[in-house]
Order: sequence, then C-alpha cells, then structure tokens
Amino acid sequence: MRFAKSGDGDFIQRIIHHKFHGFVHSTFNRTINIQCLDRGDLYTIACKGIDNAPNTLIIDLEHFEEADIRVNDIVSSGHSVLSIANKMSITMNGVKRWNCKLPKYPSEADVLIMNVSTMKQYIKLHGNNSRIERAFKSSNPFDDEMSRMLHERTQLLVSELQNKRISTAITHATSLIGLGPGLTPAGDDFLVGFFTVLNIENNRYFLYKSFCEEVVLQAKTLTNDISYMALAKAAVGQVRESISDLMEALFRGSEEELLLALDRVLAVGSTSGTDIALGIVAGLEMNK
Amino acid sequence: MTVQVLVKPNTYIDSVSLMSLSTKANQIEIVEQAIIAMGTEMNKEVIRNVGLMTPEVESAKTSDLVIIVKAASEELCEGAFDSINDLLTKKKDSSKGKSEVKYSTITSAVNGTPEANLAIIAVNGSYAPREARKALENNLHVMLFSDNVSIEDEIELKTLAQEKGLLMMGPDCGTAIIGNVALCFANAVRKGNIGIVGASGTGSQEVTVRIHEFGGGITQLIGTGGRDLSEEVGGIMMLAGIKALEEDDATKVIVLVSKPPAPSVEEKVLAQIKQCKKPVVVWFVGGNEEKVTQAGGHFAKMSKEAALKAVLLAGADESKLNKRALNLPLIEEVRAKLNPQQKYIRGLFSGGTLCDEAMHIAMEKFDNVYSNIQRDPEYRLKDVRVSQDHTFIDFGDDQFTQGKPHPMIDPSTRIERFIQEAKDPSVGVIVMDFVLGFGAHEDPVGAMLPAIIEAKQAAEDEGRHLEIIGYILGTELDSQNIEGQINKLLASGATHASSSQNAGLLAREFVVKGE
Repeated sequence: MRFAKSGDGDFIQRIIHHKFHGFVHSTFNRTINIQCLDRGDLYTIACKGIDNAPNTLIIDLEHFEEADIRVNDIVSSGHSVLSIANKMSITMNGVKRWNCKLPKYPSEADVLIMNVSTMKQYIKLHGNNSRIERAFKSSNPFDDEMSRMLHERTQLLVSELQNKRISTAITHATSLIGLGPGLTPAGDDFLVGFFTVLNIENNRYFLYKSFCEEVVLQAKTLTNDISYMALAKAAVGQVRESISDLMEALFRGSEEELLLALDRVLAVGSTSGTDIALGIVAGLEMNK
Repeated sequence: MTVQVLVKPNTYIDSVSLMSLSTKANQIEIVEQAIIAMGTEMNKEVIRNVGLMTPEVESAKTSDLVIIVKAASEELCEGAFDSINDLLTKKKDSSKGKSEVKYSTITSAVNGTPEANLAIIAVNGSYAPREARKALENNLHVMLFSDNVSIEDEIELKTLAQEKGLLMMGPDCGTAIIGNVALCFANAVRKGNIGIVGASGTGSQEVTVRIHEFGGGITQLIGTGGRDLSEEVGGIMMLAGIKALEEDDATKVIVLVSKPPAPSVEEKVLAQIKQCKKPVVVWFVGGNEEKVTQAGGHFAKMSKEAALKAVLLAGADESKLNKRALNLPLIEEVRAKLNPQQKYIRGLFSGGTLCDEAMHIAMEKFDNVYSNIQRDPEYRLKDVRVSQDHTFIDFGDDQFTQGKPHPMIDPSTRIERFIQEAKDPSVGVIVMDFVLGFGAHEDPVGAMLPAIIEAKQAAEDEGRHLEIIGYILGTELDSQNIEGQINKLLASGATHASSSQNAGLLAREFVVKGE
C-alpha cells in the first residue's frame, strides 16, 4: 500500500466520497496520467519531489519504473483507496489537501516592477533555451522557423490584447496552441503563464478571464490531452503550486525569494518552465 | 536529399527525454536534419513552412509522435531511423540486456569483430598487462581500467603502444570519450572542437561538462591513467595524446587535466606545448602559472576557468555565456546562520580531482586543511576515519575501495561518514559531489537524501544550522535526469552549487569568520 502525501483537494474528495473509474492514459518515469471515464478529465499521480498541481496526487514513491503500470490499466476507488489494476493501491489516510489560490495583484507595484525586471534578466541567464526568445540561429531550419512563429505570435497576442481587440487576440492565442517542441508545446506553456496573470484578481486585465476560456474552447483539438488539461486549468486560474508561489514572490517577495521560486518554475520539464515564465512576464508587462 | 517519416501513434514521451532525443538525433552523422515533435496542427504548419510536409505527417494526430529524417539517400534515412529507434528504446534495453556476443579471449574477439579498433580491459590487475599486450599486438588501442598493475608493466605497455602508434590509456584509467562514445565513467556531452588529455578522471569529466554547459563540445577525451606524469612513466601517454589531438583536424583547442607532473615530465610537457600549433589550456590542480604561460600555454587555476578558456579559444562569444557567478548574498546569509564554533569544512567526495580542487581552494585561505590525498605529509590524515579541522576525503582512494565498489557506484561508506560529520558541532559546512553519467549510480542524490534530511533536522533540534553543499556533475543528456537530481537536492534543504569550482568557493566562503 502506498500513501498519498498531498494532492488536489477536489481530486481527493472524489476518491474519498465518490466512485472514481478510469484507465491509465499515459505513463512516465515519475508520473502517470489517468483518464476519468465519466468526465474524460485527466488526473495525475506523481512521485514525491514533484509539486502539487490541479488534478494531481503526490505519493510516497521515487519512480514508477518497477510498478509495471501500463496504458489502459483499470483505475478505481473505494474506501478512500485508489487502485491501479492489481498493481498499486494508494490510501488517502493522512493526505494533505492542497488547493490552488492565486494571490491578489498588489496595490503598490514598486516591488513587482523591480521583481519583473530581475526575473527577465534571470530568465535570460538561467532559462532553458526557450524557442520563444531565442536570440541565435540554429543549424536546424525547423527550429528556426518554430522560433520565428512563436516569437511573432506571442508578440501579436500581447499587442492585440493591449489594444482591446479581443477577437484577433483569441485568433493569435489559438495559433500558439500545439506550437512547439516537447510534450507540452512551447506555445501552450506560454499561454499557461499568460493565463495565470489574467486570472490574478485586481490586475488590469482581470475582466479578460473569459478570453482564456474562449481560447481553451478552441484548444481541445489543437494539442494533446496532457497539455490541454494544463491549459484548461490555467484558464480558470488553477496552476501548479510552483507557479502560484512564483506569483506571490513576484508581488511581495524579496529578490532571493523570487529567485528561489523562479528556479522551481524554470526546472519544470525541458523548456516548459522557461516558456511558462515568459508567459507570466508578458502578462505582467501588459499591466505597465 | 530524401525525406522519410515515421509516425508513432499515441506516443507520449516526457519533454526532457523528447528534447534530448531530438538533440541526439540531429547529432547522428548521416542525418541532414531530424525533427521529432508531437503531431499538432501548428507543428505541421512549421513542417510545411520548411518544406518537409508529407501525406503521413498531414494525417498525424495531436497525440502522435512525428519523426522526420532528411538524409542523402533512402538507405541513409533507414539507417537514421534505426539509430533513433535505438535511442528511443535504449533505456528499456539497458535494463533487460541486449543480445550480445561474448568472447573469452582478446584474439577471438579480434577475429569476431575485425572492425573493432579499441579494447577496454577491466580484469584483475595480475592478468591485465598480459591482456593489454595482446590487444596492442592486435593493433587495438587500449583503455585499461584495471589498477594494481606494476609501474614496470605500465612503462612496457606504453612504450609498445608508442612504437605502434596506438593509445595506451591507463592502467587505472576510468574516463575517456573516443569518437563521441563515452567509455567507463564519462558524461554525455556535445560533439565539438575541443580535445582533452586527462590524467584525472573526474577532473576531466568536470571540464567536459562545463564545456558542454558553456555551449562547446568535445572531439576526444583521452585518458592517461593517474601515474602517467610520474618521473618513472615520463608522461608517455600525455605527450602522445597532445600529439594525436594536434594532428586531429576536428580539434581546435587542447585542454590538459592533471595533478602537477613530476619536474622532468613537466619540462617535456611544456616543451611540447611550446611547439604545438594549437592553443593548449593547462589545468594542473595546484600547478604553476608562470611556467605554463612562459611555454605559451593558457593556465587555468580551476576547472571552470579551464573550460571557459577552452570555449573562448574555440570561438565562443563571451558576452553570450552564463558564467554562473558566485551567489554573494547567499554567502552573507549562511555566514550569519553559523555560530562561532562552526569553523570547519568537511568535504566528502566520490571524485578524486573534485576533492583535490575543493581542497586547494580551501588551502588558499586556511592553513589547517587535512586530507587522505594531501601531498604535504604533515597535513595527510593520520587516521582516515577521523577528521581534523578542515578535512577533505576522497572516498575513491585505495583506502576506501579495497574489496568495495567505487563510491560513484556504491555510496554506503560515504553516507556513514556523512552522518558522523553532521554530528560534529565544529562543522559549519559539508560539501559533497554527486557524479552522474555512464557507469555512475542511477540516483546518487536520492541515496544520500534521507541522511541529509535527518542530519539537518538533528542539527536544527540542537539549535545549530548545518550547511550542506551538493554539486551534481552531469549534463541534461545523462541518463540520470540531472534536473530531478537537482530538485531532490534542493528539496532536502541543501545548497546546489553549479560547478565543482563554485562548490569549493562556496564551502570556503561560508566558514570564513570576521570579514
């Protein structure tokens, strides 16, 4: 029996109080994704060391390599235990519930302005070769074209939204979905960061929250299920813990707190963290 | 040019592996261009824009993995797909064991694989010279991993290799990268234009990893074995290695890594540097700058400096490099947390040169630096089980490895010692290395993690702060997932140093008092 360490409050609620039926959608070394049968949503079981996130449960395991869990294995719940085929049972006893709560936009922007500037410099130095802001030409025409399109489309999105041309902004945001290398394409990651800012209460563009939902309506067929789930959740202000911590640090943290939080975001995926961070910066700079 | 496509339906690979796979696929020599991406509409648009669209790509779904290869012929494309498939299944295969042919003698191996040109020999030291001699006689370069080979045998083998124009790496040679293939303990690094001759295993690994991080790459890393630069052996392999790299068109810059050579050998090496037509960067740990500079070499006092000089000489744009400067506010913060009694550094290393480098950095500010590898007998530990003042221990040294695997494979001895050091109230900082790459432990940080968490908690319960610095030697291409290793380290509350040099500098600065 494995113990759940922490997890999304709603996911835990479903396991404890309702029947959960699904199947394994995809497996990785340190996470497995489960597709729920009644709603079609994706849920994630992640190993310790990975941060809390929407629809995610963190368990006391280093990796799934020896668990022999395979795609299409049946997943069900009962008596506060989530079972994956007959290969793994996870009890909710003692689990710590987590719910994403984004901080409010600060009334005084001095700290934020300074922190955004620091964050931009830090991403330049420590970011992971994002295709969105890559300054050099590679020897690979595909990579170069990808970078060009990502850069152009992210710029267009920001300028159209700033000029309150919502329908064209939706078109440009949609044109980013599924664009980029990696399991979660760079365009999707950028939008996750960007949506996070639009969901911050009291920010100038808070009323454009519906813009996010409009974009996500188009997203379902444009990207893979895993990336779609992250986008759909970000559109309603539900993001992983490291991102909400970064927002708090940006609004009220010292430089050191900011860099610690930023490092955790930059460490997500291969270039995903950097692309998310660039989306956050783009969103915050619209508020200038 | 031919373009061929392979679509793998419903294939999800995590982003880190996907990027690494894409990088490696583009490094396959016969590949003009390789694209590995999810089959989304927007990615298809990019593919269309660069003129590589095919009906198979057009029909791919968002959850499909699309692999496109452009090469000179259909046959080469097929070959590239085979290589990419190998990369995709590499991890699975390595755990299950590929089909392989076993030969019981060097001669039968030579007959069975006539295209082979290098033998790695890792048998008991008593038999190693005989096997190495056989390999050289069969015109194979040799990497001799075995130790406990007599110095007379070493001289004889190296002289024979010299006569035949072959490399005789070792004995006791644990690190090499030949033709972009890592041998024994080495890291997965980019191919490039910098060649290395190294008498120090982890020192050479560190330089390759830093070069990779600075955006450079490696042509060859030729190991010599630790005794090569002794008076008796005379640097035969170091000199042969420099010559080989000088003659190699792909190598633009040469880096030498070693402890300081014996005086007569140093003269020979410096004379060869003087004649060499290519720039030579010299990192002899604790070595003499003046002599190297006079010989026209580029002296580096520390590992990161050696890598930086090499990539700049190889053509990198300095303004675009992230040199990873020391975190000065962190130094102030840690100094404030340590109480006046916490004066000492304890360095617990699995890599000998990493230990040596950290020790030399400490020796620049402190006199009382003890170690099991100190060259000055006065400061050599009398009992390696007991630390004294600032102590740096190389757990890969013979005292710790007799009858036991190297600490890069089996961390148990170091874990025990860590627990012991963490209890000492005079200790301010414990600094450790975690070596990734081929041959190394699959999860070195994870193995140490429970001990770190427990030690930090115990120190906190006693009202003192215990600072732990971890340096992870590896690249994003190594199989152990360096990002995950760093995250684990940070999650334990330890400080992550970005290089061996920075680990040594941070450790030293943390315990400096009254400045």
